[in-house]
Amino acid sequence: MNELQQELFEKQLLSLSKGLDYPRTPGIAGSVMARLHGATPPRFISRRLVWSLTIILILFSSLMLIPPARAAIIEFIQIGVVRIFRAEPTPLAPPNQEIPTTTVPMTATPAPTSQPLIPLLEKLAGEMTLEEAQNAVNYPILLPSYPPDLGKPDRVFVQDAEGKMTILVWIDPQKPTQVLMSLHLIPPGSWAIDKFDPALVQETRVNGQRAIWAVGPYPLRLRNDDFEYMRLIDGHVLIWKENDITYRLETDLPLEEAIKIAESLEPAR
Amino acid sequence: MDEATLIRHAANGDATAWEPLVLAHQEAVFRLSYLLLGDPDDAEDIAQETFLRAWYHLKRFDTTRPLRPWLLIIASNLASNRRRSAGRYLSALTRAFRNEPVSSTSIEEKSTRHLEASQLWKAVQTLSVPDQQIVYLRYFLDLSVAETAEVLRIAEGTVKSRLSRALDRLRGIIQQDFPVLVEPRDGQEGNNV
Repeated sequence: MNELQQELFEKQLLSLSKGLDYPRTPGIAGSVMARLHGATPPRFISRRLVWSLTIILILFSSLMLIPPARAAIIEFIQIGVVRIFRAEPTPLAPPNQEIPTTTVPMTATPAPTSQPLIPLLEKLAGEMTLEEAQNAVNYPILLPSYPPDLGKPDRVFVQDAEGKMTILVWIDPQKPTQVLMSLHLIPPGSWAIDKFDPALVQETRVNGQRAIWAVGPYPLRLRNDDFEYMRLIDGHVLIWKENDITYRLETDLPLEEAIKIAESLEPAR
Repeated sequence: MDEATLIRHAANGDATAWEPLVLAHQEAVFRLSYLLLGDPDDAEDIAQETFLRAWYHLKRFDTTRPLRPWLLIIASNLASNRRRSAGRYLSALTRAFRNEPVSSTSIEEKSTRHLEASQLWKAVQTLSVPDQQIVYLRYFLDLSVAETAEVLRIAEGTVKSRLSRALDRLRGIIQQDFPVLVEPRDGQEGNNV
């Protein structure tokens, strides 16, 4: 399309888009002011989720009446900004314990299922180049040097919700419609990530530091003082903290491989 | 009172100064959310959350800058998160089981202008999310290149190059799948792409 054609096309778009029949803008100001005056901290919960959450609350409330369950529920493991709640004490898993298979792929995580996850990536906000990402955040974006042929991430996202979280995604070269792994770099500050009762939690070490290996599916809650968002996570996650940055490596590779990848992080060249 | 003064008052905790700002920008925020999500209830949720989040972070806002791009950034991020969340599936289910359709007017009964705009929106929805965002901001919300750059936090030159690529893709999609936008209507010329 040459410059003239583009100019004409743009004019036509501007003209056509003015005809779109938007719903009437609701009384947002009234609702916002009522919520502000209500002095209740805002929550990112849609009205559609209220019923679901009410049911969950009732279930939790019922469990809390049972002393052993209450004691178990408040137990959690904290690594960096990630907190894992467990419904019951989780025994350390033997290294070769069979990983449970999972069925609900809802994240940019490699999954045991064959359902392609690439379309989900198209919906992630904040995509940019690795160089742009490094300029956008105030911490070094480290990249795995293992496996040697891994290369740079295929997709890079920086999501600015208070802290700037970087998400690096590698596509499986053998299956271009699937994600090989993703690495989240979460700075200290507002983001808090809670997991609830993964199928398996194993304590391990990355560079001699305490780390956690969790296996889904499980609900994951991202929240800060005025924002809350839940999603289901499938796949396996290695979580560790280094130099104030919390790392989440989502992959369907085995734990030993995940640790090798985690310990191979180094500044991008 | 001008916008910067209202923002300063609001940042100091004066909620009455926030209300006129919400009123001034609620339509743009709601419409962008609606374009990105396609559902008025979801869009209303996102718009409310946008203004609440902005209120709680006003102290960090640079009052020398216009408010609208910042609000649209928040709305766009929240809408993108919502698209990925379980809430989308619930809302799809809710829509599927609604007794009453969103609009009582069928597409066939709408004016040609509305039909074409609706078809254009459908065509844009087939683009990637970044392409959709830039097209909505620039053409549907009629933001200038500079304002679009402010919302997306990229250089104006980058806005132009990204728009050019997005328009190429959109034109291809329209020519292939949306003939109503290509074929000239009887007795009319020039309005179609």
